[in-house]
Amino acid sequence: MDYAKLSDESLIVLIARAQPHALSELYHRYNRLVFSLALNTVGDPATAEEVTLDVFTRIWQRADTYQAEQAKVTTWLSRIARNRAIDVLRRRSVRPEQHSVAWAEVHPQQLPNGHNPEKITELNLRRAQVRAAVAQLPLNQRQSLALAYFKGYTHQQIADELNQPLGTVKTRIRLAMNKLRKTLQGD
Amino acid sequence: MPVDEHVLDLIPLYALGCLDEAETVAVAEHLSHCEQCWAEWQACQAVADDLALAAPDAAPGPHLHQQLLDRISPAPVKPEPPDWRQAFAGFWRQFSPVWGIAMVLVVVGLLAGGFWLWGQVNQADTAEFRTIAMIGAEAAPDASGLIIMSADGEYGSLVVDHLPSLDADQVYQLWLILDGERSSGALFSVSEEGYGVVEISATRLLSDFTEFGVTIEPAGGSPGPTGAKVLGGNAD
Repeated sequence: MDYAKLSDESLIVLIARAQPHALSELYHRYNRLVFSLALNTVGDPATAEEVTLDVFTRIWQRADTYQAEQAKVTTWLSRIARNRAIDVLRRRSVRPEQHSVAWAEVHPQQLPNGHNPEKITELNLRRAQVRAAVAQLPLNQRQSLALAYFKGYTHQQIADELNQPLGTVKTRIRLAMNKLRKTLQGD
Repeated sequence: MPVDEHVLDLIPLYALGCLDEAETVAVAEHLSHCEQCWAEWQACQAVADDLALAAPDAAPGPHLHQQLLDRISPAPVKPEPPDWRQAFAGFWRQFSPVWGIAMVLVVVGLLAGGFWLWGQVNQADTAEFRTIAMIGAEAAPDASGLIIMSADGEYGSLVVDHLPSLDADQVYQLWLILDGERSSGALFSVSEEGYGVVEISATRLLSDFTEFGVTIEPAGGSPGPTGAKVLGGNAD
């Protein structure tokens, strides 16, 4: 079977049937996505690799819980990765000044096409769109958004961290999300 | 519904998970019955999900793939079918933070006539069983737990969520407290997601105990609490 030609959803079905080659293919497609997110959250490569392993292990163990109608596979993966990375960050009580959180450059490295060029091209395009949209946000909105998304901070924690009023932080996050939504979804 | 009764301003923050606990519960409850705000949340959640694509590019070491393959073999053991306690606990754990809060509210509301569970419930009596909420302590502020015991107090289970995974030489220990005396009720570990369920054992009726606590102890447990407290709850 040529796993490279299968859709993400088909891979998940096979993973639920304990097919390790299917997990390998999914790993080849999205290990960078998961690792990048994890590294930007936890700040060190070794911990980010642990998180990446944990995420794909969880996929292996819980593939039968995936519901295609609720989210794409990449969305499911990134949600698991974000939650796991934030859990690790909180457990290790890493202070944010020990490492920084950043947004990617506007022009991303192109992911290798591998065996599934259509899927990777689609992902590359979306990455470029999202990064361009984030880059258009004012700096203070990007800062608040990064702490909320990558670090899992509450709005009060963000306000404390940036030494800003709580209302200001809430407004900035709301404005940033609404701007991104308008840019990315056209509404 | 008038606009000011909606939670539109909070939804972008809710989608990011950066509201405080009370706001999170309020928004989740509102979303469970407001189609307009639900649609708004769906759109905001899609934006939040896209943010993963904006992390700076990085790649793990080439060794990681083999580590993954080593970790997953042999094939995982499929769990036994759950008993009634695990079936109830399944409602607790089969969710992301966003959807799960609403589901928990619905389940507990059906069981006990409607009340807030997420960090605010003390206890509820039903004809069949009784629940006691446990709240995360300083060592695990995001953790939560629920003791489910039969109405006669003869048996019960503990369900926990968002507890951090422990090192191999550590274990979580449940303490049953009566008149200041602590007795061990269970030893347990949690899944990678921080979820766990364990049956409680006691030398007397669970309903006799007035307080419950969970601490981190050395593997094998301790005669008394020695480690950090992660969960606590009162019976009344």
